[in-house]
Amino acid sequence: MRFRLRVLLLFVSLVAAALGVMLFVVNRSAEREAVAEIERRFAGATDTFGQLVARQNDQAAAFASLLAADYAFKRAFADTDAITLESNLRSLLLRADAHAIAVVMPDGATRAAVRRDGRRVSEGLFSPLVARADELEADRAEGCVWLDDELHEFVLVPLLAPELVAWVGLGRRIDTDLAADLSQRSGLEVVFGRVNPPRVLGSTLAPALAEAFAARPRDDTTPSLGGERFLVAAIDLPDLARAGASAHVLASLDARLAPTRRLQARLLLAGGLLLAGALGAAVLFARSLSRPVQALAAHTRRIAAGDYAARLDLRRRDELGELASAFNAMSAGLAERDRVRDLLDKNVSPEVAARLLRDGHALGGEEREVTVLFCDLRGFTTLSEGLAPPELVTLLNRYLDRMSAAVEEAGGIIDKYIGDEIMALFGAPVAAADSADRAVRAALAMRAALAGLNRELAAEGRPPLGFGVGINTARVVAGNIGSHRRLNYSVIGDGVNLAARLQTLTRREDYAADVILSESTRAALVSEFPLRDLGEVVVKGKTRAVRIHALG
Amino acid sequence: MSPRRLLALFLAGLLALPALRAAEHTLTLADSRGRPVADAVVSLHPLDQPAPPAAQPAPEITIAQRDSEFVPLVTAVRVGTAVRFPNEDKIQHQVYSLSAAKRFEVPLHSGATAPAIALDQPGVVAVGCNIHDWMRSFVVVLDTPWFAISGRDGVARVSAPPGRYRREIWHFRLAAPLVTEITLTDDDAATEAVSLTLRRDRHPARREPGADATYP
Repeated sequence: MRFRLRVLLLFVSLVAAALGVMLFVVNRSAEREAVAEIERRFAGATDTFGQLVARQNDQAAAFASLLAADYAFKRAFADTDAITLESNLRSLLLRADAHAIAVVMPDGATRAAVRRDGRRVSEGLFSPLVARADELEADRAEGCVWLDDELHEFVLVPLLAPELVAWVGLGRRIDTDLAADLSQRSGLEVVFGRVNPPRVLGSTLAPALAEAFAARPRDDTTPSLGGERFLVAAIDLPDLARAGASAHVLASLDARLAPTRRLQARLLLAGGLLLAGALGAAVLFARSLSRPVQALAAHTRRIAAGDYAARLDLRRRDELGELASAFNAMSAGLAERDRVRDLLDKNVSPEVAARLLRDGHALGGEEREVTVLFCDLRGFTTLSEGLAPPELVTLLNRYLDRMSAAVEEAGGIIDKYIGDEIMALFGAPVAAADSADRAVRAALAMRAALAGLNRELAAEGRPPLGFGVGINTARVVAGNIGSHRRLNYSVIGDGVNLAARLQTLTRREDYAADVILSESTRAALVSEFPLRDLGEVVVKGKTRAVRIHALG
Repeated sequence: MSPRRLLALFLAGLLALPALRAAEHTLTLADSRGRPVADAVVSLHPLDQPAPPAAQPAPEITIAQRDSEFVPLVTAVRVGTAVRFPNEDKIQHQVYSLSAAKRFEVPLHSGATAPAIALDQPGVVAVGCNIHDWMRSFVVVLDTPWFAISGRDGVARVSAPPGRYRREIWHFRLAAPLVTEITLTDDDAATEAVSLTLRRDRHPARREPGADATYP
């Protein structure tokens, strides 16, 4: 995954998580609060209902008591037939805030009853109320009475003439009006219903919701009506219960949560903006990080390709800026090393340079058997007459170039140039068992190279060049030799001097040899070479005679 | 009156002796908590012979209105008795009864101007005043001469000839009269204790200044 994408995802997921947690917490606490508030209202609703029903019953009782105390009504009750009494009741009902009025005999038989809507009232409905009042010796008889399919709360008071001769009272329908009244007082939805079969008697809910409520499972206290979540509580009204009816209060949880929902919508909007902002910030941040990183990557690729001259300028003062500075320092370091290596390659043999680069100063003195070759140029003085110095150096370098190539091809290294003289080593710094053979092969190759050079010089109209080569194989000390500031890999020892002396012997006419090698070299040879024994000789500075051979 | 007639009367008296002999029936009435019940009417209705005819001319009783109360509260009379309602108060009263035994109304009146009302049907006549709800009086109109009203001690004594009777005990707080068949004999001197289950008296208390109108 790309770095930029990761930063983006991190930002977005952090903001989204914070937003999600916030919405969740708001939702949870709001819902709890709403449920608690609804339950508080539920708790108060039973009292409210009881008080309201009691007050209504008191009012009905007060009206009925006035009626019962009215002498004209007593006479009407005592003297008239049922039809006349009903007519009288109908007239009285117009004065009362009630839906029905009834006169009931002490034994519970209905003497006369009238409903506001004019419907007939069946016989014997009031006897349970009267029986209960007698049993309780209550001042008045009250309770719910079914008139057809409508439930009424009736209050009956004694008709005294002067003793109890009847009960007279009023009934109020348990209906939507009462539900609305109670709803207004309690701040809750109210539903009155018949228990069996379930039927709505009155409700403040929309009819469809009320039907859904009546049809719900009896013990479901959190029904979903019309897609809205409600909380429900039953109100304990004994009169209703005795008549097989019930009262419930409901509150819509969703309605109560509506302000919270609006808040949440706003939070969501704000959160969305925040998220967009965070996204933008993340893009900018990621870009500010990934751009220099990409620049660094590109820069690294250039360095890998060998371009040490390139410099990175991020114009930053932070860690990336430091990184860029470090890269530049690294480029400079690499460039420096490259330059040093280049110089080293030119000044020392590649093997020595490689070994030096690999092992540092580890080329301390070590004794080993090497074959040393010295080659001295002849006839150069004649050749150089009349030549300008640059041409001279050019010509010399041309010669040295050919000779050096021949040495290196044969597996030797150029130890040093001493003017026009070449010192070459075989078997150092890398040990080789056939250092003598290599040296002899190098001499043969140098001879061939010189012949080639002389053909070129002849073609240029210049006199030919000659050389003398001395080869000796001996144990010498090899190592980096020099001061602390400047070191040369080289070998020292008697064997080196002998090689140089053998080279000078090639000048002797009687030997007629351009390549002279010592007995120790001959002995070290693995291959066969055409050699001519030149006898023993005591070289300058030595006391012991050395047997020497000329390379045929 | 000649001695012969006196003798004849004496003989006739001897013949009538079984009818003249009287047994005394004593009842002690108490409520369910054992407290004596006053104002209960105990009446004996003969089962084997008709009740003797009532006296002629009809006797007259009075139920006074005194301090806005009827006095007495309970009266028992034979059928045919007339009742007067003299008003001893300064204020007027309007006496009425809506009872089936006698329905009447005496318009607002003062003094003793109200006419006598003949109680010609057996039954209980509940009397009220339609301007004072608490005023009431009960007149138990009986078809028998043998009855009594229990006193404050709850005791009622009825003297009647030996024989079988339907005994009725009435009280305005009884849901229905208590009816028992009894037989009286000469030497019956026993006292019977009867327990009555009284209902609550649904009667408005007289309104005293500062008090709420409620039932006692």
